[in-house]
Amino acid sequence: MLDTYRQVVTPEGVALHLRAAGAVPRALAWMIDLALRAVIYVALFRALVGLFGEAGNAILGLAVFVMTWFYQVLFEVLMQGRTPGKWALGLRVVAADGAPVGWMASFTRNLLRVVDALPVCYAVGLITSLIDPWGRRLGDMVAGTLVVHAARQTDIRAAAVSPPLAPSMVLLPHEQAAVVAFAERGPNLTAARQAELADLTEALTQARGETAVMRLYGIANWLLGRR
Amino acid sequence: MRQEHFVARHEAEWRELERWLEMRASSARNARSHRRDWTGLRDDKIPERHRRLCQQLALARRRGYSAVVTDRLQQLMQRGHSVLYRTKPVHWRRSVEYLLAGFPRLVRAEWRCMLAAALLFWLPLISIFVAIQVRPELAAGLFDAQSLVRFEQMYDPARPDSALGRTNEDDLQMFAHYIGNNVGIGFQTFASGLVAGLGTVFVLIFNGVMIGGVAGHLQAVGHGEPFWRFVAGHSAPELTAIVISGGAGLRLGLSLIAPGQRRRIDSLIHGGRRGALICIGVFAMLVFAAFVEAFWSSIGSVPSSIKYGVGLALWVLVGLWLLRGGRNAVHRDDEDAA
Repeated sequence: MLDTYRQVVTPEGVALHLRAAGAVPRALAWMIDLALRAVIYVALFRALVGLFGEAGNAILGLAVFVMTWFYQVLFEVLMQGRTPGKWALGLRVVAADGAPVGWMASFTRNLLRVVDALPVCYAVGLITSLIDPWGRRLGDMVAGTLVVHAARQTDIRAAAVSPPLAPSMVLLPHEQAAVVAFAERGPNLTAARQAELADLTEALTQARGETAVMRLYGIANWLLGRR
Repeated sequence: MRQEHFVARHEAEWRELERWLEMRASSARNARSHRRDWTGLRDDKIPERHRRLCQQLALARRRGYSAVVTDRLQQLMQRGHSVLYRTKPVHWRRSVEYLLAGFPRLVRAEWRCMLAAALLFWLPLISIFVAIQVRPELAAGLFDAQSLVRFEQMYDPARPDSALGRTNEDDLQMFAHYIGNNVGIGFQTFASGLVAGLGTVFVLIFNGVMIGGVAGHLQAVGHGEPFWRFVAGHSAPELTAIVISGGAGLRLGLSLIAPGQRRRIDSLIHGGRRGALICIGVFAMLVFAAFVEAFWSSIGSVPSSIKYGVGLALWVLVGLWLLRGGRNAVHRDDEDAA
């Protein structure tokens, strides 16, 4: 329940990273959708009844029907798993294997909202999504789908090129990874913070402050193979 | 191999794949129209390239390369995965085929649940109807006085205009109303089956009692003729659809209670898939029923014999469709249909 980070192993044998979304962002997304639908209803009502009179009421009735049962399905399938509400909250519906959600799965999960909404305020859905490690409501379980946080674009850039410097001691793999990670993320930090971090590796760089930072960058370049 | 060399060796390959994903994978229509101008990676090379990429990603992880490489490959892999493993698009021809053959086959395959649903619906309906004929005061226990008066007015044979005097606009509006109402009931009957089937049982009995009550009361007070004239046409598709969605709901409930050899979750997914497929057929039936109800049943000037004839013909057609549909067709995997 606490760890919402899930891995799915693809047929090719590598892990897909899915970050399952919890009840709160999903409820918020649902409310946004609800508000949007209310706005559309009112707009349609004004436009149709104004234009066609009685016949407008009939078209409105059909529109309400379509919006009740197919609003979520249409958006989820045509917009890569995102209704406007989910888009606003950065959520996506995907199949359990990480593939985009299909018509049948989306239709199923939205049909079963009827049960998840029981007895009031999505209580059943809330309880099941708290129990389930993937945060799924009943509809998601039956449809084999999952709501995930859409992948964030990472802002990590390659380490800047600087004269490579051989480390003065043997570094273990995780230490090497830490040095390279410092070189990649360091430029996003303030100079003082960079120096503070570099000071922790005094045994390796045999320097402090600005010099230590530059030496660490050099070692990172050496580790990356720029020599 | 050092990270830098690894990147240098494979960079071109990744760029090609990235370009393909950007240009060819986003929209199928776009991809088709630019098929001739496309000079990059060929479409049929993609599965192979994707496998290579996955291998490179695994290598990069194993060797502890930094986030710059692994994150990039990870993202590329996830994009490729969602293209390669997406569900097949729906073809119109397949959906028609499903409605004509696949759906009846699916209904017949679940005949036990369908039979149970039919009994749960028809037994209360008929018994209430008969009971009210014997003791008409029973109707007052089912409905309050206001509703009874409304029913009676709706089907009053003494009314000067036709049974349900309506204008064309009214018909259209009632069509929308019937669709929303009936499809809603159909879908709810199915979905509430997830509560161990109890919801479906309740909805079926409830609707059976209500319909039997209304019909019984109108028959008992002598307003039977306009009522039967009105419902004869759409009764076949509508009542059958409700029973079928009830059967699908029971099936869903059963797959929760008695998963058989499957894990419970797999059994639910299986039951849900079939149930949703059945719901598509139910949807089509109910839209057709609403169409008949709004535009045929409401016409008052047609003689009763024709009304009953059409009603009977529809019962025969629905029965034939459900019992014979798809019998001769080469068996296809209905799970893929629609």
